[in-house]
Amino acid sequence: MIARRIRLIAVLAITLVFLLAWVFPIVWSVLNSLKTDSDVLAYPPKLFFTPTLEPYRDVLFGSASILPNLISSFIISIGTTVITMLMAVPAAYALARLRFRGKKFAGFYVLATQMLPPVGIIIPYFLILRNIGWIDTYQGIILIYLSFSLPFAIWLLVSYFEDIPFEMEEAAYLDGASRMKTLWRIIIPQVRGGIAVTVVFVFLNAWNEFLFAVVLSGNTVRPVTVAMFNFISVEQTLWAKLAAVSVLAMLPVVILGIVAQKNIVKGLTVGAVKGGGRR
Amino acid sequence: MPGHAAAIPQGDLGRVLAQRERRFAAALLAPAFLALLATTTFPLLFLIGTSTFRMDLAMPFADGFVGLENYRTLLADDRFWSSLLVSLIYTGATVVLQVALGLALALLVMDMKRGQGWFRIIAILPVVLSPAVVGMIWRTFMLAPEFGIVDYLAINAGLGSKNWLGDPTLAMVSVVVIHTWQWTPFAFMVLLASLASLPEDIYEAARLDRASAWQRFRRITLPLLRPAIVMVVIMRTMVALTAFAAIFTVTGGGPGTATEILNLYAYRKSFTELSIGYGSALAVALLVVTILISGVLFALRRAK
Repeated sequence: MIARRIRLIAVLAITLVFLLAWVFPIVWSVLNSLKTDSDVLAYPPKLFFTPTLEPYRDVLFGSASILPNLISSFIISIGTTVITMLMAVPAAYALARLRFRGKKFAGFYVLATQMLPPVGIIIPYFLILRNIGWIDTYQGIILIYLSFSLPFAIWLLVSYFEDIPFEMEEAAYLDGASRMKTLWRIIIPQVRGGIAVTVVFVFLNAWNEFLFAVVLSGNTVRPVTVAMFNFISVEQTLWAKLAAVSVLAMLPVVILGIVAQKNIVKGLTVGAVKGGGRR
Repeated sequence: MPGHAAAIPQGDLGRVLAQRERRFAAALLAPAFLALLATTTFPLLFLIGTSTFRMDLAMPFADGFVGLENYRTLLADDRFWSSLLVSLIYTGATVVLQVALGLALALLVMDMKRGQGWFRIIAILPVVLSPAVVGMIWRTFMLAPEFGIVDYLAINAGLGSKNWLGDPTLAMVSVVVIHTWQWTPFAFMVLLASLASLPEDIYEAARLDRASAWQRFRRITLPLLRPAIVMVVIMRTMVALTAFAAIFTVTGGGPGTATEILNLYAYRKSFTELSIGYGSALAVALLVVTILISGVLFALRRAK
């Protein structure tokens, strides 16, 4: 009886340490983002203090406002999501439901494209986009984001399309509906949930991307993940503001992650049954 | 057109329908595949092309075709071999830690009646964050000397303030810990889901046979979990090999080249030192390494 109790306490202690370790860096950033400059630098670190929204006011509406970068991030992520979905939904339907020669190869090709290291994509793209003047433009970044968002979205959607019973399509054809009409009116409504999940993950991946953004961004287009490093410099780091910016950069993806909670394992392991994966 | 189709003999109808299906499939696939060709296959060919050129953005006058020269340089380049070694250490350490910790935690949490929901929610947090944000938070609020919490704890534990990102060994440990911190929840979530789907009756039988907890784990859980573990290993290996933001934002590959994985070396060569041609050769080498390692892992998965 006592041995069991000791075991239970040990298990609780170990798991609590894990929970704390995962939560702490995030919570600590949130706390620091609510401190005045003197509170942030206090030693020993302050867990209790009078919160202030000053850092947020500064980074949003101050002289070096992060607002344009947040807008940049939203434009890039939404643009990537819309274009990806317009291309991925039809492609995934064809791969999941239609019969044609070379289907296996097509599916393999989509997976194999993910083997290519991102640094191998950005080197040639940097040269090309520089030649046509697309560095520091939305179209440049969104185009190259398709290289990872498309394979991901296609494979995630295929798994949802495969779950629909074939009888639904057959019934529609027998009624004389065209293929396009069947896809649009019968099939798409069936995978609404899957499409919503895919949208969440494509947005999330686009928001979080860093390598392509670092190379291709400039003064016009600079997402928040890149811009936040302006708050660190050799002479002086603006701790509270830095914390506020990182919280702003985390907020959208944390909300989306919790919304998509039930599907997160599926979203993270998509295509993995056959291989692939991302950063 | 169904009335019209009825007049066609049975075999022809089948062929006509199959042909229509093919055309429809081609139309649906075309946009996505053209985009994939343009954003992945075309850059790959272009990359292989530039890797056979001398191309220095700082000295464009010396540019020109050099054949396999870049690859010969690469084989004799100590920094290349050391970055490859750093890649293998980083990948090996992070993947082993993620799987071991994720599995241990999944086993502990599995039988928990209350509180499992907390784990499921909290495990999501690190995983959905941008590695760039994670790197930034760790570099500053966690590891900055005399400011970060880790340093504060080290001082209080009597270890004294350490230069977590300035010392070569500590910097490597730090980037490994950061990557492990962010992605252990992934292994945890996947393995917890597979544990939950294991059949209950085998464990009943084992209990009746008085198998110990360790025996049950060794003989039942581990073999049944093997496919999920291998899948996690494959996915995490591919990601660790091309990790960028998680190191770039924390140490930038430094101090010196202590945390410079091959991926980062290819980036620094191309975009910091502006040697695009040699950088391309490094990127091709990274692709070859990725293919070799994934080939080994897939062979392991098929075995037994």
